[in-house]
Amino acid sequence: MASEDELNLLVIVVDVNPIWWGQQGQREPEFTLCKCLDAIMVMGNSHMAMTRTNRLAVIASHCQDSHFLYPSKTWKSGDSGGDEISSSRDGKYELLAVANNLIAEEIKNIMTKTEVTGNSTDTLMAGSLAKALCFGQEMKSRILVIKAADDCALQYMNFMNVIFAAQKQNILIDACVLDSDSGLLQQACDITGGLYLKIPQKVALAQYLLWVFLPDSEQRSQLVLPQPAHVDYRAACFCHRNLIEIGYVCSVCLSIFCNFSPICTTC
Amino acid sequence: MASLSEEVLLVVKKVRQRKQDGTLYLMAERIAWGPEGKDRFTVSHLYSDIRCQKISPDGKAKIQLQLVLHTGDSTTFHFANESTALKDRDAAKELLQQLLPKFKKKANKELEEKNRMLQEDPVLFQLYKDLVVSQVISAEEFWANRLGGMNNGEPATCNKQEVGISGAFLADIRPQTDGCNGLRYNLTADIIESIFRTYPAVKQKYSENVPHNLTEKEFWTRFFQSHYFHRDRINTGSQDIFSECAKQDEKGLKSLVTQGVKNPLVDLLSLEDKTLDEGYGISKALPSTSNANKSVKESSNSAIIKRFNHHSAMVLAAGSRKGDVPTDQASETSSTDGNSRDSDFFQPPLKKVKLQEAIEYEDLQRENTPKTVALNLKKSDRYAHGPVPLQSQQYTTSQDIINSVGYIQQEMANYKPNLTRVLSSTTATSAIAALSPGGVLMQPVGQQSIHQMVPNDIQGELKHLYIAAGELLRHFWSCFPVNTPFLEEKVTKMKTNLERFQLTKLRPFQEKIQRQYLSANLTGHLEDMFQSAYNKFHIWQTRRMMRKT
Repeated sequence: MASEDELNLLVIVVDVNPIWWGQQGQREPEFTLCKCLDAIMVMGNSHMAMTRTNRLAVIASHCQDSHFLYPSKTWKSGDSGGDEISSSRDGKYELLAVANNLIAEEIKNIMTKTEVTGNSTDTLMAGSLAKALCFGQEMKSRILVIKAADDCALQYMNFMNVIFAAQKQNILIDACVLDSDSGLLQQACDITGGLYLKIPQKVALAQYLLWVFLPDSEQRSQLVLPQPAHVDYRAACFCHRNLIEIGYVCSVCLSIFCNFSPICTTC
Repeated sequence: MASLSEEVLLVVKKVRQRKQDGTLYLMAERIAWGPEGKDRFTVSHLYSDIRCQKISPDGKAKIQLQLVLHTGDSTTFHFANESTALKDRDAAKELLQQLLPKFKKKANKELEEKNRMLQEDPVLFQLYKDLVVSQVISAEEFWANRLGGMNNGEPATCNKQEVGISGAFLADIRPQTDGCNGLRYNLTADIIESIFRTYPAVKQKYSENVPHNLTEKEFWTRFFQSHYFHRDRINTGSQDIFSECAKQDEKGLKSLVTQGVKNPLVDLLSLEDKTLDEGYGISKALPSTSNANKSVKESSNSAIIKRFNHHSAMVLAAGSRKGDVPTDQASETSSTDGNSRDSDFFQPPLKKVKLQEAIEYEDLQRENTPKTVALNLKKSDRYAHGPVPLQSQQYTTSQDIINSVGYIQQEMANYKPNLTRVLSSTTATSAIAALSPGGVLMQPVGQQSIHQMVPNDIQGELKHLYIAAGELLRHFWSCFPVNTPFLEEKVTKMKTNLERFQLTKLRPFQEKIQRQYLSANLTGHLEDMFQSAYNKFHIWQTRRMMRKT
């Protein structure tokens, strides 16, 4: 059993790419960003309700930047701000009510201020993960990534750095993928020891979250959960971007080629 | 006599062995005995086989010499010549004493090395058991590749630390009273060596006098009797051979003191026996211990202290002296026994070093990081996406973007969390069904990884099989290309070894796992490896036949 004083932090990184969610809302009106956020709130509330030492953080990962939805800076600065919001009328545990309200407020602020330019349509996932890692320094933490849009290939290096940093700090990265499989997240989950799941039914997101991602790593060993799939770690050569199994590596810059050539084109 | 091509070092007649008269021959590499009148040797032992020799005590009637072999057997020779038996036996013993150590080291070393290697590496030990003990390959083949470094590495293994001299070695020779007003001193070889290393003068005397003038026993008796050894060094006249040593020691001590200490930060002369006041030490004004005021009549205290200092200096000198340095050769390092010169030449650098040590701290210096070369990248954007395969990207038109953003903004503006309507029961149950064993997301049980299905002992056996097979196959494949007749032989031998291994080890293992109903094909790869080796051998053989015809 974990010690009573140890704080357990769950950081939920939500992909709120407005383009993808906008299209999604038009495609399937029964599962929109609002529904997704509701499911995440349920998950967050459950996590905080399990023990007193559980803490929650929610980060929204946008095209332009990543924001902390909870805890927000305005809340920490004083209790006066909290009194206005936290008057819960239905006898709910105050912490949960505060959290929910804050999350709703923040996400509304973010989304209404969205101005998307054409060239940055990809979610800044690596940045959000980095923020999550920095936030969870003093306590035992794990990260849950809810991914909607596709991978951004340009973030590869940053992503891998974040993954290895998380591995060094023993921070699990779990992934719940809504749309298309993400090789990067598969690698992240494999390396850090987390769970990767692509859910078949988006409307049942809450159920999947509660069943698979709510237990923490110690409890997971006692449960029967989906087995991790085989991860394809093959690298792609730099010249053709094909996946190769055996290749040539430059000893100076470590770039991978499928054919031998005496001069490396990268360095 | 048979095979007298060896050099015979000693012949002793009238030596009985097992109640038979005969002659004992000591040759360059072995000792042999043949019965009288016969042409051949009935008993022959190599010196490397002999572990040690024993002689019968002096008082006994029978004069015997016994040889104990490594295997534990022993052979006894009885020297039966009436007049010269003792001399013969002693001559034989002396010769053996000289020869045995030479051979002993070689043989032991090899065995020791092998044993050590086997003990240190359990994998090697297991391999040895699998291959040699079950007679798949012979021990020589096994050790052929592994001992290559051993014979060349002798100088490396001899880098043992030299044992220093215990400061108390003289005190350890505790004299025991003999019962009738005499003293017994027990001298071991270690003590003798210590005395020689510490006092080279004594060693010199020993080499001069023994065995010409005195026997060893007499030398040591004189040594202990001389007042050189005892506390009060009163010269008893020049009869004592050790009086010279005493004089030499005095000389050495004097020069040692004049040399002083090289460290400029240590000032020995400022140390004196001063008394503070009555009750804080000796109040009488004694002559100080510095050598400048030495009086002719030496007090016994200063004599003891002098002896003590000299002894310590000699012990330290012996520890730093490597091997035998004759006293007239110049020694490189600064001398600590006062008897060698040239130490004055090295004074300035040493002083500088000491001063520098005192004023500088190593860890406060600037760190010397190795110079690095910067990496020049021409196409660094390749790193941006890394070794990721090209994926078809969905292209969104700007109109799409505007539409989507507008839609989402509208939606979120009216967002109110409704946590009671998150999930309907049907969706929940379908999700649970998917997550339960047998569901869509739970992979079938049959795809369990193989290492969970096979028991641990079978895994261990398989590992050993792989290691042993790998060893054999390595020997086999290293024979190609077959250039010499030696390699031809080896190749054929290895092939038979492989077949033998397959028969004796692989087949029973396969049967065993079949009996346990393990469906996994664990030995397929091993079989493939063997088969490719056989194919190669077959090809080589047919080619050889074709070349011959």
